[in-house]
Amino acid sequence: MTDFALDKPGKSRRPDLLAYATLSLISAFCAVPFFWVLLASLDGNAQLFLSWPREWTLNNYVRVFAEEDGARWVFNSLFVVGSATLLVMVLAGLGGYALSRTRAWWKQPFLYAILLIRVLPPTALVVPLYKILLTLNNIEGNLVRIFVGGDTARAIMRWIGFIDGYLGLILVLATMQLPLALWIMKTFFDGLPRDYEEAAVMDGATMLQRIRRVLIPLALPGLAAAGLFAFISAWGDFLLPLILLSSPELQTLPLGLFRAFLRVNTIDYGFLAALAFIYLMPAVIAFGFARRFLVQTFSGGVKG
Amino acid sequence: MINLRNVRKFYGALEVIKGVDITVEDGEFAVFVGPSGCGKSTLLRMIAGLEGIDEGDLILNGKRINDVPPDKRGIAMVFQSYALYPHMTVAENIGFSLSLKKVPVAEIKRQVGDVAEILQLTDYLDRRPAALSGGQRQRVAIGRAIIKKPSLILFDEPLSNLDSALRVQMRAELQRLHRELKATVVYVTHDQVEAMTMADRIVVLNKGTVAQAGHPMDLYHSPDNEFVATFIGSPKMNILPVTLSRPDAGKLRLENADGLAISLADGGANVAVGEAKLGIRPEHLKVSLGGQGDFSAEVVIVERLGVETYLAVGSPKDPIVVRAEGDLSIRPGDRVSLTVDLSACHLFDSNGLVIRRPQTL
Repeated sequence: MTDFALDKPGKSRRPDLLAYATLSLISAFCAVPFFWVLLASLDGNAQLFLSWPREWTLNNYVRVFAEEDGARWVFNSLFVVGSATLLVMVLAGLGGYALSRTRAWWKQPFLYAILLIRVLPPTALVVPLYKILLTLNNIEGNLVRIFVGGDTARAIMRWIGFIDGYLGLILVLATMQLPLALWIMKTFFDGLPRDYEEAAVMDGATMLQRIRRVLIPLALPGLAAAGLFAFISAWGDFLLPLILLSSPELQTLPLGLFRAFLRVNTIDYGFLAALAFIYLMPAVIAFGFARRFLVQTFSGGVKG
Repeated sequence: MINLRNVRKFYGALEVIKGVDITVEDGEFAVFVGPSGCGKSTLLRMIAGLEGIDEGDLILNGKRINDVPPDKRGIAMVFQSYALYPHMTVAENIGFSLSLKKVPVAEIKRQVGDVAEILQLTDYLDRRPAALSGGQRQRVAIGRAIIKKPSLILFDEPLSNLDSALRVQMRAELQRLHRELKATVVYVTHDQVEAMTMADRIVVLNKGTVAQAGHPMDLYHSPDNEFVATFIGSPKMNILPVTLSRPDAGKLRLENADGLAISLADGGANVAVGEAKLGIRPEHLKVSLGGQGDFSAEVVIVERLGVETYLAVGSPKDPIVVRAEGDLSIRPGDRVSLTVDLSACHLFDSNGLVIRRPQTL
């Protein structure tokens, strides 16, 4: 804030003060729920209303992992959402490049058509989606059972099944996130001069060298932005895991949270808050990592 | 030495390069110049190997290289945007082609050091391109080209992204580098001033064909056609529609609607009478207030620059531009007499091809 010294005293102070006051108010408004959840999660006797904990304890967190299957939920969520994000980044990187660099009459219609996936409410698609996945799952299950039987088949289907398996959820989550990521990457590559690649061609780089040493490093800000959006959006998805997963050992964090909330006896706010706080952390951390890439991507591509 | 022989390029049915013949000698600074869409960049990219050649031969040092991949041609290219990789340091950018060839790290370092010395980049080797000035970036781009020890360096409008002051400075620097490196250069630009100031040989391109090639001053003083005449030189050459007639045998008469009437000796050349165009550069018209002249016209615009004065005379829509030495106190609306320097003007037929200069007719 060194340029304050350049301002004429008295003249610009007041608007600055007003701006900071407003911003502080908005920040507080945004931060209070997080603070609330954090407080409640550390309270031995948390209630529905915000109160200063009388006894500080980590017991709520311990219970998430010791009494409940918390570690399993965290792993499931991270694995499913992480895999979906990785898949989105790879497909959006390659697809965005192709959509940006090729000339084809179907490009514009295609780009708008895939946005439709994003625009349609997932809830409306649940029934046909479930039907399709169920059919695929049955075919796949029958195929697996030709080679292995009983428990082994069930264990395999837990990983590669379309219903009540990791693969199905990963694919559906990735599909939901792919359109936006493709748009981000297509726009990103549009802003990336072809000169970079042609310079690499003149220098004798093979296709693989061009991708690894030139395109991926150049596309990293775009990929990070696309990946961030995919991760945060998929992390927050509740409906799809609810419908597609039924085995307790496949439960994800939002499902765990939901089920804990629905328990018949009294609601355990401390436990819920601890679980909610754990659920919040990865999204916040992901945002922290990708923030600088976001700014770079949306303020006009690569400068060099 | 690079030779283009009857080189053609088609985009579908559209012929964009229409049988071009160009020769650039070793050590020459050749500039391809022309308006946008004339095919100069396409031609450059064809030489680089980034575009295919549909017909004709591309010969570098006696070897036909039409089908040689870009990196095996011994040609380096400096791109319009410089295309410096933002994620690599200056040293990594310059040494990129060597590292792709798996040259040992120590050897890369030595060669990068040598190149950096020539280009005065030694202190910047660890910086990223984003931390360099425009001129330094251009030097890095040139460094990336010369480290390959190419027999030909191509430049694709490298100054077009710079502001005008920096452009003048870069022009001088490029000329200095060319002298020091003794490299053969093909340089593409749409700016005829760049072409005039830097080139040993200018190739003027128009609609996919070579309009004229030669030394800048040859193009300036004896253009082959109206296109080259008006493209080279600033402000551009005035083109006056005239009617040629032959009142007596051995005499030619030029007349136009503004009252211009010039008699010439028809020096035996078989000049066809009828419609023609007289080309006069602004500096080859002499202005006098009230005196005798070849024709007179009303002044429309006056631009007084002190050292020289530009007048636009005649019809406001399509004025004739006149350059006069020194500061003239002429105001719009004044009527001036103009004398044509017949030894320096050009006569074109209705197709825009030059008829020999009037002086020698």
